[in-house]
Amino acid sequence: MVENYAILPCNGLDKCAGVISRELAIKLCENAHNEIICPVYSRVAEKKYNKIAGEHSLLVIDGCQTRCASKLAAEKNLKISRKVTITEEAKNHNIELGNNLRLQENENGLIEIILNGLNTEDKVTPFSDEINVEYNFKYKTYQNGKFIFRVPENPEVYFNENDCWAYVIGNRARIGVTDFVQQNLSDILFFAPPEIGAEIDQFGEAGEIESSKSVFELISPVSGKVISINETLLQTPELVNENPYELGWIAELELTGFESDKELLIGFGKYFEIMKKKVEDLNG
Amino acid sequence: MSLTTFMGVERDKIDWSPTIDYTKCDYCMECVNFCPHKVFEVRENEEIKLIIRNPDNCVVFCRACSKICGPDALSFPDKNATTQRIKEIRKEETNG
Repeated sequence: MVENYAILPCNGLDKCAGVISRELAIKLCENAHNEIICPVYSRVAEKKYNKIAGEHSLLVIDGCQTRCASKLAAEKNLKISRKVTITEEAKNHNIELGNNLRLQENENGLIEIILNGLNTEDKVTPFSDEINVEYNFKYKTYQNGKFIFRVPENPEVYFNENDCWAYVIGNRARIGVTDFVQQNLSDILFFAPPEIGAEIDQFGEAGEIESSKSVFELISPVSGKVISINETLLQTPELVNENPYELGWIAELELTGFESDKELLIGFGKYFEIMKKKVEDLNG
Repeated sequence: MSLTTFMGVERDKIDWSPTIDYTKCDYCMECVNFCPHKVFEVRENEEIKLIIRNPDNCVVFCRACSKICGPDALSFPDKNATTQRIKEIRKEETNG
């Protein structure tokens, strides 16, 4: 149930997805104790909305991938607890959105589906089978200006050239992003985990992290089935900034093809050199 | 500015960069502002105002620009086919 949320919708009035966002926000407030943050009025009434945001968890409704509402939340330093993107929901449910700014059958149907999803989400406890990982990482650091980049030297940690790591323990692996990613994103404000039970190919998408600057899609170094996600990150995504290898891990996978995956993975030594070159290239 | 090899394979041998669907693109240029690798180029005075200028600068397997594209106008090659191709090239190079 969506209850006691501050709802920040996209409210884009010149696009169908924006109109849907607005309608969804209204519906969420009709039958429950939720409060709307008007993205337009918030420009001039910051105090009022900061108070609302301070007293509630924040649900952001983005119309499309331009993510205006998310960006507004980032600008105002508001932590996002839940997020809906209308165009993505439409895609997931095979619903084609028109260009009409008056809602038609398809759009209203989508609103109902999203409402149902949001209101039942909390009741479902996903099967989360977290392994007990004892970290024993030894880090090597590289400093460029004020930025420090750590990379674990342990041989059980594998990397891809997309700045993601996999810590392999038996037939399972914990995965996450490296310091290079978190330093580039700066303050991480939102974590969208992969779905528990999802089968992910090597180099497939395994969740997203988002800062005010950018979105980063974690590209899984290994193939496998998601058996657990780092639920702590849902409330405190900034742990990825603190240490993306330990408290900031993203997900755990049951490995399905590690012997073959290994062929396209690198160890600490190679990754450290590649990362250094990337940092130097970016900073000139 | 970008690396010249990916997984030990010359970058220009790997077909990985976005394709712009001009029927959807509304030239908002979000992708240009987003991508730090200068993959895109803006052509203010041309009819087609946005092109893929440096496909080999694109980070293999990264699809982040398509994620931030409002009108969903960017697409990428099939990831599994690309992975397979990289493996083949690596094999050819080791054997040859």
